[in-house]
Amino acid sequence: MTSAPHIAVIGGGSTGTGIARDLAMRGLDVTLVEQGNLTHGTTGRMHGLLHSGGRYAVSDQASAEECIEENRVLRDIASHCVEMTGGLFVKRPEDSEEYFQKKLSGCEACGIPAEVISGEEARKMEPHLATDIDKAISVPDGAVDPFRLVVANAASAQEHGARIETHSKVTDLLVEDGEVVGVEVEHDSGTGERVHGRTGGTEEIRTDYVVNATGAWAGRIGDMAGLDIEVRPSKGVMTIMNVRQVDTVINRCKPKGDADIIVPHETTAILGTTDEEVDDPEDYPEKQWEVDMMIDTLKELVPMLDEARTIRSFWGVRPLYEPPDVGSDDPTDITRDYFLLDHEERDSLGGMVSIVGGKFTTYRMMGEEISDHVCGKFGIDADCRTADVPLPGSEDFTVLRDYMDEFGLQSPIGRRSVERLGSRAEEVLQTDGPNPVVCGCEGVTRAEIQDAIEGSGSDLNAVRLRTRASMGNCQGGFCCHRMANELHTEYDESTTRAAWDELLQERWKGQRHALWGEQLSQAMLNYALQATTQNRDNDPAEDDSIDFAAFDSGPEDVEVVSDASVAADGGYDGN
Amino acid sequence: MSDAESPPEFDPEAPNTGEDFEPVDVFPDSDDFDLRPGADSCYKCSTCDTNCPVAEVDDEFPGPKFQGPEQWRLKQSEEDYDVDDSVMDCSNCMRCDNACPSGVPLSQMHNTARGEYVSEQMSKFSVEYWRNRILSNYRTSAWLASKMPRVANAAMNFGPARWVMEKTMGITSEREFPAFATETFREWWRAEGGAAGSRERAVASRERRGEDPDADKKVAYFHGCYSNYNTPEVGKAMVRVYEHFGYEVVVPEQKCSGTPMFANGMLDDARRHAEANISSMADLVEQGYDAIASCTSCSMALRQEYPELFDIDGVDEVSSHTFESLEYLRIHEDVRDELGAADVDGELAREFAYHAPCHARNQGLNNQAVELFRDVEGVGIEDVGDSCSGISGTYGWKSEKYDKSMEIGAEMFEHMEDADGKTGMTECPTCAMQMEHGTGYDIRHPLELLEAALVE
Repeated sequence: MTSAPHIAVIGGGSTGTGIARDLAMRGLDVTLVEQGNLTHGTTGRMHGLLHSGGRYAVSDQASAEECIEENRVLRDIASHCVEMTGGLFVKRPEDSEEYFQKKLSGCEACGIPAEVISGEEARKMEPHLATDIDKAISVPDGAVDPFRLVVANAASAQEHGARIETHSKVTDLLVEDGEVVGVEVEHDSGTGERVHGRTGGTEEIRTDYVVNATGAWAGRIGDMAGLDIEVRPSKGVMTIMNVRQVDTVINRCKPKGDADIIVPHETTAILGTTDEEVDDPEDYPEKQWEVDMMIDTLKELVPMLDEARTIRSFWGVRPLYEPPDVGSDDPTDITRDYFLLDHEERDSLGGMVSIVGGKFTTYRMMGEEISDHVCGKFGIDADCRTADVPLPGSEDFTVLRDYMDEFGLQSPIGRRSVERLGSRAEEVLQTDGPNPVVCGCEGVTRAEIQDAIEGSGSDLNAVRLRTRASMGNCQGGFCCHRMANELHTEYDESTTRAAWDELLQERWKGQRHALWGEQLSQAMLNYALQATTQNRDNDPAEDDSIDFAAFDSGPEDVEVVSDASVAADGGYDGN
Repeated sequence: MSDAESPPEFDPEAPNTGEDFEPVDVFPDSDDFDLRPGADSCYKCSTCDTNCPVAEVDDEFPGPKFQGPEQWRLKQSEEDYDVDDSVMDCSNCMRCDNACPSGVPLSQMHNTARGEYVSEQMSKFSVEYWRNRILSNYRTSAWLASKMPRVANAAMNFGPARWVMEKTMGITSEREFPAFATETFREWWRAEGGAAGSRERAVASRERRGEDPDADKKVAYFHGCYSNYNTPEVGKAMVRVYEHFGYEVVVPEQKCSGTPMFANGMLDDARRHAEANISSMADLVEQGYDAIASCTSCSMALRQEYPELFDIDGVDEVSSHTFESLEYLRIHEDVRDELGAADVDGELAREFAYHAPCHARNQGLNNQAVELFRDVEGVGIEDVGDSCSGISGTYGWKSEKYDKSMEIGAEMFEHMEDADGKTGMTECPTCAMQMEHGTGYDIRHPLELLEAALVE
């Protein structure tokens, strides 16, 4: 072989982008295709826990050991995506002492630093913990932003020559002579960055090898080549609280069960979760009782959750897999381990491997194993470097505090921006023009939005994932239009309008599950504002564009008012 | 994906209309600085920002929504997350509390953030820190000045001295310092026989009024610093009016209410003073006294800020037994009826231009003076509108804030000048300074007029 082998990676989640980065760093020619945004599938629908391994320390010690190993790696290479909050396994009076001891010895056996603290010490760390919590085990759990991590992996892969195609759905596997030789994809809007309204098209991407990293969707890809991949998707609900009631990950120290974890995530806290097998990863019921049950159960750990505001809920599907001969009935019994399915060995179909099972925390390790496998196929001897080379944004993180003040931003906004951008902060935030706050809830400025637009085209949902703009307590009520405004003038009116529509739809989607109390007031205010000032209550069937030229352009000879006499509220000088 | 099923029950939030004056207990389990959960009530409507008088004139000031719920939500833990320095530009008028349709504890968030900023981020060697500390500890300066009031009055407004204060401390030389009385209220009170004298006079009043001479009518007067050192006539009027209605007055040991300290983030100082005040008031409240303040910011501090900011024994009891002086009489006595028969002649038979202080507004008291006096024979009263006077205690005394303070006050000055009356009236001592500074009018307290109408 004269040139580097060309590998198609299907799936733009943590596993897919992790593999793409690894292979690209080893010098292979990589094309990654994803049907939606990056993190569109399971990665974007998780609670953001960076496992210490504690959760698996009794039931699945092999997974637990992998978790603590990768936990340490990610703190290094992805420092701008990780917040080391620490975690607690808390024991209520009715919870088993025997299990508590097992958890502790399990942690010790797996090399997870664990320490028992009293209920009082736990409440000192987390004042909102229930007063009857007996004691807790403290472990190095953390919080990780999956969006930022995946975007950074994709960016790194691109830096190493990979091609990343989002909104490009695989419609077929190309099979010739008993071997997979490529994929057929349907581009939603052409290739490269997404631009709304641009004509897409079908492309045949011919490759030397295909990696199926589609998680819960792996069975669907397998079907295209007549392969039987027995993924068992299992849904779980997660509810986002408006503020962080806790700054430490709170796990309930119980064998297994629903609603047993609270993860502080950026400005919010995420409650999780449930575990129920579903047939279709894209079509399953989302029920209000699941949300109610979670709040009711978790308030046993943090009573104030009962009255606290939730801003939205979402469901994700785990890509669980177990070899067909195991036959677990309950999805909670299925291992969280990952499996590499070499279809040549398994199904006598060359040219493709699938990776199934596993979990977010060990994505890099899975990527390494798959990349070793792929390199082995082509006799390439290249070392994996993904555990040592920091991701873009996580280089030289220590200098951050020095330039916190330099961007002319208010403290908490500057702080949040720098946390999100990591070592890229300076290049993004150092701007000559005015840099107003676009999203007040999350503290996102124009410069950061513009940087995201450069990376993701007109796709405002992708901008949202990169920046967190519109993910705060008003859920975009006060900033979706401002974000859309940032697309102008680079994109025309109809593109901007389509991107804005899509963002609004996405924002309303998750709020449907939070429409009571304060978030209902918020939703009503958002609706009223968007209806009365943005014509959002128009007929959705009518999509004629607006003839702006038909509107009055204002009085011709308006007197120009100097800045000095304009009051901050837009009124003129106190009148 | 399928649609979610809607929640079966609809349980709307009761809006806090500001009618019930209840301090917000955001965080009952702990007394640390975390007010993040208070952000849950905010739905970003920005009504607070449109009601903020500072935001209207200061384009650099991000406004109460940012200072309060947004900043708290973005903050994470005290050590790592700085409070933005713009919190020092808030004048603590607390109008945002009233403006909020959703019960966000805005002023509590601002006071707490400011306290954190001053204690953790502001240099204790800076001129600003010491200027603010001196301004907010007005009681100490006033106490010193009251020892030799004539000298102090001359010295404090001596041109070169003021020039030095402006240059070295940043205290504006545009304003005249208020004069110190030659006899403080407390000195007068002692000379009048103190509590024993008051009891005798109250019993005589009850007999004259045909009430039970042993009626349980007793109040503890929180005069505040200004009535004591600068305007003892207000304190005297309070005592005479209350005794007229048959109340025994006691004047307990007291310190500054803490209002200027909250506004300057000096929470340690404020707590020390609050502890002293609560300690002397709590005993009296237990004996059946109600606490009465003639300054609306003092009553505000005892009622709202103390319980919101401090966990002191007895704070809730004192808070729920504190009233403003006119408010209390209007609750318990038929003041209007008596005023209907009254006739004011003499020095105060004038037309008044009345300004309701922001802190009176927050306690729902913005109409009380106009409602009381509009039908009184011999006087006229006119409300000059709902704008802020702009001085907000120490805010307007700072050189860098002086122009903004006057810009905020411009609307009030203009309305005062348009009013028939050429005498001002307000409950708040610093609003009175601003009214006088902007118009040159003489400014009186409603208690003084009540005294003129009802007492002898």
